[in-house]
Amino acid sequence: MLLEAQGIVKAFGSFRAVDQANLVVAENELIGLIGPNGAGKSTFFNCLAGDTRPTSGTIRFRGQEITRLSPDRHARLGLARTFQVPIVFAGMTVRENVMVGALLRHPHRRRAADEADELLHFTGLAERAEMPVTALGTPGRKRVEIARALATEPRLLLLDEALAGLTSSEVEAAIELVERIHARGVTLIVVEHIMEVIHRLTERVLVFHQGRVIAEGTPAEVTADPTVIAAYLGRRRGRAQ
Amino acid sequence: MIPLRRAGPVAVLVILAIAPFLTANPFYQRIAALVVLAAISASAWNVIGGYAGQISFGHSIYFGIGAYASLLLFGRFGLPPIAGAPLGIIASFVVSLIIGPPTFRLRGHYFSMGTFAIAALAEILIVNWKFAGGAIGLMGPAMPRSLADLLFRNSLPYYAIFLAVLALLLALTHLMQRSRMGFYLRAIGAGERAAESLGVPVQRYKLYALLISGAFTALAGSLYAVMIGFVDPESGFGILISVNMVVIAALGGVGTLFGPLVGAIILVPLQETTNALLGGSGTGAAYVAYGLIIMLIARFSPGGLAELWPLINRHGRRRAA
Ligand SMILES: Nc1ncnc2c1ncn2[C@@H]1O[C@H](COP(=O)(O)OP(=O)(O)O)[C@@H](O)[C@H]1O
Ligand SMILES: [Mg+2]
Repeated sequence: MLLEAQGIVKAFGSFRAVDQANLVVAENELIGLIGPNGAGKSTFFNCLAGDTRPTSGTIRFRGQEITRLSPDRHARLGLARTFQVPIVFAGMTVRENVMVGALLRHPHRRRAADEADELLHFTGLAERAEMPVTALGTPGRKRVEIARALATEPRLLLLDEALAGLTSSEVEAAIELVERIHARGVTLIVVEHIMEVIHRLTERVLVFHQGRVIAEGTPAEVTADPTVIAAYLGRRRGRAQ
Repeated sequence: MIPLRRAGPVAVLVILAIAPFLTANPFYQRIAALVVLAAISASAWNVIGGYAGQISFGHSIYFGIGAYASLLLFGRFGLPPIAGAPLGIIASFVVSLIIGPPTFRLRGHYFSMGTFAIAALAEILIVNWKFAGGAIGLMGPAMPRSLADLLFRNSLPYYAIFLAVLALLLALTHLMQRSRMGFYLRAIGAGERAAESLGVPVQRYKLYALLISGAFTALAGSLYAVMIGFVDPESGFGILISVNMVVIAALGGVGTLFGPLVGAIILVPLQETTNALLGGSGTGAAYVAYGLIIMLIARFSPGGLAELWPLINRHGRRRAA
């Protein structure tokens, strides 16, 4: 198994943002993570990426326990992520942003710049390589984050709402990008709101609700699941049942 | 031909190299030496404060350590003051290793406040340290015993020495800027969380930056003591020493190679002439002026003068075309 997360709990005070979540990911999978706002998806990602330490539970990546390792160690081991709200390096160009990622495996600037250019081309940012990254809007910044994360040459990539806020033609391009990333041999977990995207991209979906995984299966299975429907409609009956 | 982008810095360096030799006025020569000295400490501060974005208000510690190391070695052991420079640098490493890791956990203003508090504490400790002259301070040699005392009647030799150190520091900074370390520091300054997620060992790189920054600031302190021949808690460890580095770097442009130098060229002559006019050290006026400068930079040009430079260049290019 590439990744095994068992019994992950993240508590803020007495509130459990993630509550006993389990996830097993095999090499080359493309997994969807859905759930209403505040369900704990981003917090779960933060736990997987080492950005926050789970209150309890264990995470293994490529056979090694990584639960308490720092985020930079995660990146070194091949686990990369993007942020729901992009964090770009202001004061740098688009290319320089991607170079920061590439420098992890290629310490020399020239070589890192070449790697960055390849990924800028791959993500459709080549024309904007010289622009200050702050000149880009949110969709562009999300692409920079993807290119930057890919530059660390990950085995597993966590995308947190990489398609949110895009126009329909941009969504189309982004779906195609995710497919090409997958085709490169990168395993993916994507948090996504648009069900159509989930249907088209993924074979397996986990549904989060109030910190718990309430359903798991193919997109068709989970969307037909009454528990899931109830969670999305916010009816109390759904939880009791 | 020199590209326009480089024309500014090159012109500045040429002017710097020859300027003080064009005047026989000791007052101007002294100011020139002090400009370069301030440029050294502000450029050193810039490594951690500018590139890595960790706004330290505690760098007076390093400056004070350098200055005190020099005059303690002279006063207690009769060594030439410059012999204190390596000692000050070693002490600066120890200080960085002690204060770096805990303060680096603080973010933004909290880091600034933490470093400020540590520096204020250091000043109090020095005032009460009898061996180091307490509140009175320490003196350098009154008469040169040998050339090694580096005691000169006029400021030009100091100017030449300081300029060599500044050139070394700027050359190192330039190399750093183009290396992985430069990218990593700028990434840390712009977004620590994202930098970490890309495999940047943030705490380690901050410590590297602080070690370099602190060492050159300590060296600046030693050079100051060698030239002035006197240091007390305020002129070595005073808060104004830290503030000076921040304001000079911010004025010229933080995180740029030549920003601190430009800031020093503008600010130090102003300080020295107003001090001469007002008499004494003019400390109160300095605080008011700093406050004003910080407000103006924050309001109109957060990147310092370096931010205006591309605008000027663009106009120049258009005219040239
Ligand atoms: N640092 C934090 N401190 C306290 N509560 C938090 C923190 N981070 C997230 N939460 C809470 O945890 C819950 C899950 O948030 P999040 O993981 O962002 O959900 P999602 O990504 O599924 O929309 C929310 O109720 C949010 O308010
Ligand atoms: Mg979220």
